[in-house]
Amino acid sequence: MTQWLGLRYNELRLMKDSVPAFLPLYPATLHILLSLASEDLHGYGIMQEVARQSQGTYKLGPGTLYDNLQKLIRRKVVQELGRRPGDEDPRRRYYRLTSLGRGVLAAETDRLADVVRQARLRLQIAKPRRA
Amino acid sequence: MLRPLYRWVLRLHPSGFRRRFADEMLSIFDHGVGKPAALSLLVDGLVSLARQWALRSEFWHELSPAQEPGADDIPSFYTLDPFRPRAGAVIHGLVMSTALFCLTCFAIRYSWIHILHVNIPVVQIDGAGASAMLERPTVPPRWRDKTPIAVSTAPHSFNASHSAPAAVAIENRAVQVSATHASETLGSESQERAGRLTGLRSATPAPQAPFEPYVGAHVDQPQAPQPKSQGATSAMIPAVAGDVKLDAAERQRVIDGVIANLTKYYVYPDVAQKMADALRVHEKSGDDDAATDGEVFADLLTSQMRDVSHDRYVMMVYSSATEPENPPAPSLEDVSRYRTEMEENNCRFEKVKILPHNIGYLKFNEFPDASICRTTVAAAMASLNHADAIIFDLRDNPGGYANMVALIATYLFDHPTHLNDFYNRSENSTEQSWTQPPVPGNRLADKPAFVLTSPSTFSAAEGFSYDLKMLNRATLVGETTLGRGHMGMGHRIDDHFIIRVPGIRVVNPISKTNWEGTGVEPDVKVKAADALKTAEKLAEKRLQK
Repeated sequence: MTQWLGLRYNELRLMKDSVPAFLPLYPATLHILLSLASEDLHGYGIMQEVARQSQGTYKLGPGTLYDNLQKLIRRKVVQELGRRPGDEDPRRRYYRLTSLGRGVLAAETDRLADVVRQARLRLQIAKPRRA
Repeated sequence: MLRPLYRWVLRLHPSGFRRRFADEMLSIFDHGVGKPAALSLLVDGLVSLARQWALRSEFWHELSPAQEPGADDIPSFYTLDPFRPRAGAVIHGLVMSTALFCLTCFAIRYSWIHILHVNIPVVQIDGAGASAMLERPTVPPRWRDKTPIAVSTAPHSFNASHSAPAAVAIENRAVQVSATHASETLGSESQERAGRLTGLRSATPAPQAPFEPYVGAHVDQPQAPQPKSQGATSAMIPAVAGDVKLDAAERQRVIDGVIANLTKYYVYPDVAQKMADALRVHEKSGDDDAATDGEVFADLLTSQMRDVSHDRYVMMVYSSATEPENPPAPSLEDVSRYRTEMEENNCRFEKVKILPHNIGYLKFNEFPDASICRTTVAAAMASLNHADAIIFDLRDNPGGYANMVALIATYLFDHPTHLNDFYNRSENSTEQSWTQPPVPGNRLADKPAFVLTSPSTFSAAEGFSYDLKMLNRATLVGETTLGRGHMGMGHRIDDHFIIRVPGIRVVNPISKTNWEGTGVEPDVKVKAADALKTAEKLAEKRLQK
């Protein structure tokens, strides 16, 4: 009985938290995960990193940022690390990508790569041939 | 103007979101340059306000204690879902669980379910310590052994008032121990720590629980702690020489008892045999004939044994009072007194602070019983949890309980780690000591660690240092420690003579040996007084890499 309950519980968790359940990602979510891929950052750092990655074309407001972080933390994609002593602004908290988060980011990258490949293929087919 | 407005907008957010992110959003607002940026952030805040109230109802009341660690970082429970049961369901659950609890208690008490047939001891509290016999308090392994002798004057001597109940109880023996012996001990072994005499118990029965020095501890009656000062302690040691005159037959009987105990318990059988041979030779050559006084004879045998074994911790003790054959276990009162004492002394944790460069510093002057001081340790380690390196100052630490060694070491590993083995020679058994499962939320497992040592670092404190050194988990800084890697027991020979025999050997699983006699060599040798500064510099260098 216990084993069955344990199995069932695990299955439910897998269904809820498996990587495919997160896809596709919203642009804001994708940019946030991407910015956290290389290092732990605070909220302002994430905003700056997102602006840098998109060369200023995509700007993330704090409302959108923390709304996303709230959801990502709840779903264990991002981990909140807390404040760091000695930071220039003691109000800042740092965030880190969890292993699940890395899996989600990798899966989304693969998915987008596939989309890009498909799109290029279709565009090539649709291109009129020269006589 | 816009900042107060933005703050006001943030204040209007749902409490869960506001508590968690408002400070950070305001921090970002403060980084904004110029009015357009501030206006843009204000609009963003208003959009966020609408979004949180309209679309994020599941986060409205999220308290998220796990994400709001307190200052002490003590782990808390995670809330999986913002679910609140109905009041009716709570009352129903309360009634059902109470009924189930009563039913279980009833079943256990009357044993009508055989599977639950357990023997429940009947506790009788009376003034004669009978309760201690019926319900022996659980006492974890203790590494240090105690003697009333060293209580008096060793430079960093362990004051019996800071010790376990056993020590408090054994302290009464100070009255009975010879003054001659005390002066000898203080002269030749001024570095020795408290306790060369663990529990005093009958030599005849097989050892019952070698890691429980309370077992068989000499407790005539629970008594209030004795005065702590040297003068007072010395005054308690009366001159009892000449109370009992020994004849040849009595000396023969004592020597037989000594040899029997050495042969049975001493950690190294070959050395025990050498001591036995030496005792026989001295006896036959008439060296003992002049010793008609108990204390003189005890000291003579001690020196004869030490001459051969070079073991400072093998010792004969003479008592003018009659030793009981089956001394009772420590009373609940003794345990309670120890608990109170530890609480009053913050479990002998002297300093817990963060040094410059975010280096954690913990100075503690004992390894107290983990079952009593667990909370203090958790609080101390939590306050250092965010340190980038940690320094353990054991320069004034005379040892203590093995379970505390394992508990503190637990914070330095992310998996259970084998620290050492305790080999009991007489039982030919080995007990392993491991760190506990990782502490949730602990961040010190991969941080550089340093241990400060001195010639006063003793027993369990040496064990802690040695284990971490062998595991390459800490850098030892300071001076070589005193060198106490064996644990001994007191064994009753007759009504007046007791022998203390080192019978348990600590064996490190990596080096397959220990630090007995040699002490623990530090990795960085500096004067003990300079150890902290050196360790700080080493930590800084390590953190800069």
